[in-house]
Amino acid sequence: MIKEILKNIISKTHVIPFPEGFRISPEEAAKGMNFQERIDKVFGRSLRIRQVDAGSCNACEWECTALTNPIYDIQRFGIDFVASPRHADALLVTGPISRQMELALKKTYLATPEPRLVIACGDCAIDGGIYKDSYAVTNGVANVIPVDCYIPGCPPTPVGIILGLQQLLDKLTGE
Amino acid sequence: MDYILRKAIKTKENLNEIYMEVSGYDFRDSCVYIYEKKNAILRLMFATDERPVDGSFRIYTVFSIPGDERLFIIVLSLKEPDMTFPSITPYIPAAHWYEREIRDMFGLIPEGHPDPRRLVLHDSFPAGSYPLRKDWNVIERDMKEWGEGKAVKEPYKFMEVEGEGIYEIPVGPVHAGIIEPGHFRFSAVGETIIFLEPRLFYTHKGTEKHFEKIGFTEGVRLSERVSGTSSFSHSAAYCMAVERMTGLDITENAKAIRTLLLELERLYNHIGDIGNMCAGTGLAVGYARGAVIKEHLMQLNERLTGSRYLRGINIIGGVRKDVFIHRDDLISTIDAVTKEYKEMMKLLLDTISHVERLENTGKLSNEIARKLGVTGVAARASGINDDMRKAHPHLLYGRLDFEPHSMSRGDVFARMMIRAEETECSISIVNSLLENSYKGGLVAEMKEIPPYSSAFGYTESPRGSMFYWVMSDENGEPLRVKLRAPSYCNWPAVPFAVHGNIVPDFPLCNKSFNLSYSGCDM
Ligand code: SF4
Repeated sequence: MIKEILKNIISKTHVIPFPEGFRISPEEAAKGMNFQERIDKVFGRSLRIRQVDAGSCNACEWECTALTNPIYDIQRFGIDFVASPRHADALLVTGPISRQMELALKKTYLATPEPRLVIACGDCAIDGGIYKDSYAVTNGVANVIPVDCYIPGCPPTPVGIILGLQQLLDKLTGE
Repeated sequence: MDYILRKAIKTKENLNEIYMEVSGYDFRDSCVYIYEKKNAILRLMFATDERPVDGSFRIYTVFSIPGDERLFIIVLSLKEPDMTFPSITPYIPAAHWYEREIRDMFGLIPEGHPDPRRLVLHDSFPAGSYPLRKDWNVIERDMKEWGEGKAVKEPYKFMEVEGEGIYEIPVGPVHAGIIEPGHFRFSAVGETIIFLEPRLFYTHKGTEKHFEKIGFTEGVRLSERVSGTSSFSHSAAYCMAVERMTGLDITENAKAIRTLLLELERLYNHIGDIGNMCAGTGLAVGYARGAVIKEHLMQLNERLTGSRYLRGINIIGGVRKDVFIHRDDLISTIDAVTKEYKEMMKLLLDTISHVERLENTGKLSNEIARKLGVTGVAARASGINDDMRKAHPHLLYGRLDFEPHSMSRGDVFARMMIRAEETECSISIVNSLLENSYKGGLVAEMKEIPPYSSAFGYTESPRGSMFYWVMSDENGEPLRVKLRAPSYCNWPAVPFAVHGNIVPDFPLCNKSFNLSYSGCDM
């Protein structure tokens, strides 16, 4: 354990190597360069997201969790997931909004301080996805609370979510 | 078995499934007989609305007997207006949720069940909605009037613990972490949990009814989306059920690919879970390492199948892609992962502060695990050596050389070590699968689905035993699809495991079970 910590302190290079499988096109990378700059500008250096699962199959959540692993490490852009809607700038909602989660989602939305953004993440959150028109779902976030940005995919990959957040920034900065 | 056969009014055999239909109180007696005298495990229990076929509802209770590959199904049929059946819960506690579910979804009343509350449906569903009945349909107007707090109302009563110094902590359904929704109500004295009552089914999406609507072929896609991290196990079990129903035999090659991918799914789950447990003890290094290895495996999944969650591979009759063409990539990635994983385990087991938190925390006794019908890692960590890959060999598991492990201590540490042993077992299964080549193409020709036929599909998912049961109607469309995810069996055990622990250890206990909400809630 101590060895592990020392190794991390001493070595200047990445202890965990960047995996080969991490594919991202040059344009995307170029766009990502000013990502942090723009977050600094729009959100005063930090974008705090509260993730709300409203009936998802849990794959969407795992991709959000993957964003915080050492490989994607989304915190380096100033983005982080927070524990309470009261600390959040944005809600990231996944799942087709099951009827039994509808009320909880509304309450979470009301608990988020304004101005609040809502991101619908995953095909289910967009229009119910594969669960569309089942008796127990409400066919997407927009039927329950207003949505600012959609991220498609089932589930969207971690890179897909980062790109989706860029889209949100584009919209906010009017680019 | 003669005891039941003598009482049976109808019997049917299909592959390894033995159906025995009995009537009235014989139903309860037969179930109790097989459970007590034959030491059988209750695998699942479900109802069907077969009124379009012969005017009756049916209840199926599925048992398997250790050392016997067959499934024994005791069936009871009910004709209107008699909508009650004798509850078996007082004798077989593992049936408690199944019977409540049957009451919610079909309106069939288990007489003598100790808990009269609803299970699956919350207040947002008006009293008298029985979604799985064939003649139940929602109309637009009803939908508008629904919504939590609007419709009437069978208010849910939480159990109350009274006494000096006892206070309640309600948590959820929206939690602090990036996890699924569920409500937990702790009754504690100081820091010690006296009683925990979970209320789940917030993510209930009407999956079983939806299966009936979208047809068998589309059903594969839906089964992949029941529970994210067991996508492949779900679709493999579902496809197996439909294939067995139509009498379709898949090729050896397809079997090998399914077996391989099932093991890859187990690998990324188990390693990820071991890492996640570190988050419960605050060991950030272990958590990060687990996450990195998991990410490597997910990226391998993507290279093999195009999906990080192994979706889009299974189809009825076989698989879509040949993953053996990536043999070199598989071998080198698995080698690298094995090395990293061993380093991680060494790091974890050498960290005394971590191990001490795990030992004797969240103990689940063998007796309770047995009574509640716990499955998977949690069962094996509490001394029940039950693994579907051995108990009911399917795909290529009958040919592979491996041993399921079990431990008797039943604590969080045991659940971690069982995962560790199974990780190594999966690595060796993957390696031995890669040594051979397999005959046949990828997909077998689809056959017509015969009317009114049914079959089971099952597998051992990373979380435990998983079952699907499908039945076709007169046109070969789905009449009923029953799914039983392992988390459904294990959730009721969590309150017993956390009893007497401190509240801050709850996340750790919970992570050691790693249950799916979506799979359980259907
Ligand atoms: S979009 Fe796909 S991955 Fe996300 S919750 Fe829905 S089914 Fe699951």
